Amino acid sequence: MSLLYDEGQQAIATESRRIAEARSKPEALLALLETQGEYDAGFWTMATEQGWTALAIPEEHGGLGLSLIELGLVAFQAGRTLSGAPFLTSGYGAARALLESGNADLQGQWLPGLASGEVIGTVAFGEASSPLPETPSVSFAGGKLNGSKPGVLGGVHAGLAIVLASDGGTPVLVAAALDGVARTTQATFDNTRCLAELHFADTPASELARGQAALDIALTVLAAQAVVTAHEQTGGSEALMERARDYANTRRAFGQPIGGFQSVKHRIAELYTLVELSRANGIHAASRDGEADFVKAAAAARLSACEAYDTSSRDCVQVHGGIGATWEAGIHLHMRRARSLAVEQGNSFYWEDILVNRILGDVA
Amino acid sequence: MSDLETYRQKAAAWLESVAPRYNAKVRYGLSETENLALGRAYLKERFDAGFAGINWPVEFGGQGLGHLEKVAFEAEELKHGMPTVFFGISLGMPVPVLMKFCQDHAFVRERVLKALKGEEIWCQLFSEPAAGSDLAGLRLRAEQDGNGWKLNGQKLWTSWAHYADYGVIVARTDPTVQKHKGLTYFWVNMKAPGVTVRPVRLAAGDSHVNEVFFDDVRVEDTQRMSPVGGGFGVAMATLMIERYVATDSGGFGPKLDHFVEVARKAVINGKPAIEDGRIRQQLARNYAMRSGLESITARAMLMMQAGMEPGPEGSLNKLVSVRSRQKLSELAIDLMGTAGLTFDEHASHSDDWAMSWISAPTGRIAGGADEMLLNTIAEKILGLPQDYRPDKGVAFNQIPA
Repeated sequence: MSLLYDEGQQAIATESRRIAEARSKPEALLALLETQGEYDAGFWTMATEQGWTALAIPEEHGGLGLSLIELGLVAFQAGRTLSGAPFLTSGYGAARALLESGNADLQGQWLPGLASGEVIGTVAFGEASSPLPETPSVSFAGGKLNGSKPGVLGGVHAGLAIVLASDGGTPVLVAAALDGVARTTQATFDNTRCLAELHFADTPASELARGQAALDIALTVLAAQAVVTAHEQTGGSEALMERARDYANTRRAFGQPIGGFQSVKHRIAELYTLVELSRANGIHAASRDGEADFVKAAAAARLSACEAYDTSSRDCVQVHGGIGATWEAGIHLHMRRARSLAVEQGNSFYWEDILVNRILGDVA
Repeated sequence: MSDLETYRQKAAAWLESVAPRYNAKVRYGLSETENLALGRAYLKERFDAGFAGINWPVEFGGQGLGHLEKVAFEAEELKHGMPTVFFGISLGMPVPVLMKFCQDHAFVRERVLKALKGEEIWCQLFSEPAAGSDLAGLRLRAEQDGNGWKLNGQKLWTSWAHYADYGVIVARTDPTVQKHKGLTYFWVNMKAPGVTVRPVRLAAGDSHVNEVFFDDVRVEDTQRMSPVGGGFGVAMATLMIERYVATDSGGFGPKLDHFVEVARKAVINGKPAIEDGRIRQQLARNYAMRSGLESITARAMLMMQAGMEPGPEGSLNKLVSVRSRQKLSELAIDLMGTAGLTFDEHASHSDDWAMSWISAPTGRIAGGADEMLLNTIAEKILGLPQDYRPDKGVAFNQIPA
């Protein structure tokens, strides 16, 4: 796959941007912050109608048979407008786990619903601060799951979870329908992410993979989600850089636009470098899907995307001064999203180690 | 396989065949004079092999190929550390500008051929003691002298002027108009009476830059390469030619593998440095930065191949890579402990951390200081306002000192 977008991909970029911008309502997003377990339902409906949930799922399962590149383009726009219902990423993660496992029955059962958006999918790998524990506390025995998974993205609404569990010390990857599974909504500073703790109690689940294979698939899924997220983060970073630029061009102090002061303009130029490095690494990683160096490329994309989004959040507020720190200005929506996205797919320490182990050749 | 890939492989094979006589390893410890002699011999061989002036017009002795082939060759050549440093400026800017702006084609053809073969070297006389980033503020005067011109003043930071046969120069021909409107562009003979070249020793101990004095140096009007007062435009065009050069995501410092080697050997408080989070974080961050720059470059190449104009993000390579190299070099020296303090004047900045570190400041200043690059990004790419400029719209001789 190429680093250069072809005509079809450019059309997806243009069209998704037009649609995402047309329905972007920052006031509504602000109101949602003060609710728990709610998300931008209008965006999600639109995403499913547009086929964004189907983009990277094979055609034989009701998808459009495209790739991480196209999904990344859509995620980029969602990031620009903050419109991400969390399921775009987590639903793809669930689908990807089913595809990686090669279990035809489960694929037939779940993929068409994930592609159409009727099923909201998620992955439940992490426990505490570990995104991918080798011996999870959630147990799987006799086809049943027991235990709790905290911080599950979109967990409040998900109908399907891919769970990393332990069968007597052996890691297993399983698929579980979440009907009737108890969940505790987690109040976070970015409530539309709909994080929940899932409580499994003799929950029936189907095994996808076991042992090292389970961990390998989980890592590939996490990497794929990280690449989608990196595009979303780049979109958010770019929007913030542009917002800082526009404000610096219009706000006047000391007799000139504040963008005329190097302390301000250089800060924004530095954001440009971070945005472009993030974009470049994201595109590169998406183009490496399926190759031996995919996880390595995903790790690099993740690190630059987190740095770009956190830094542009910080600096965009700073360029705005007091007004940037207000509730109404809404830049905090990006601050919140930047921090959420930086943790959801595994923190930077985790990914730094993933990357360094591969640089050192300790892991192929 | 694409035509470009075929070309790259052909170039790589040829370079491989001559490398044992010219590469950085076999030249280790040679004097500058010996290196220059080898450099001239290498350029002659490169010319004969058909890898000189790759994207230059055939009528001037070039190969008539594209920027892509040129960059592909350069990227392969970089791997060997060939003795091309003396000719980098010469073939990079002055000679291409000569082809573009000098009307005397027979003269140009002769110069181009000699420059491509390493027989002649051109330098670029732009910066002055009081005009670096603010190039248009230069003071060296060109006054009419009969049917020609007379140059008086001083240039500074002129790379390889001590070996140069010719140079291109920007001079002030009219101090009574706005600063960038009173400049004119010439070529000069560096061996002409009144030209004095004095090397300036840099922090790393080397002296590849010079101060050049002009005392009543006579220049013919046929040596003028711009309209009178139109020199700034040609100077800008000179700097734009630099767009199509091989970049290095490591800022021309040591490779990241080299850092890994250092970290694998080092110990911090009895524990392997390579297991230390501080070191691993820097390794990961530097890798991500380099891979981002490499992806930007790869994308630009693909765009050029597809006949598109690459995006402006290509311009951030030098800014990002060189300052990172500076910090990583500090870290590598730290890791090596007192062994890291060892200094070898023959070492290269591309494989020795101490040399990389001590020569990094030059990289952050030459060819556009970090601050000017940030200004360019802010103003040209993002559309932010220019700095406050008290010299704007003011005649050069009225600018407050």
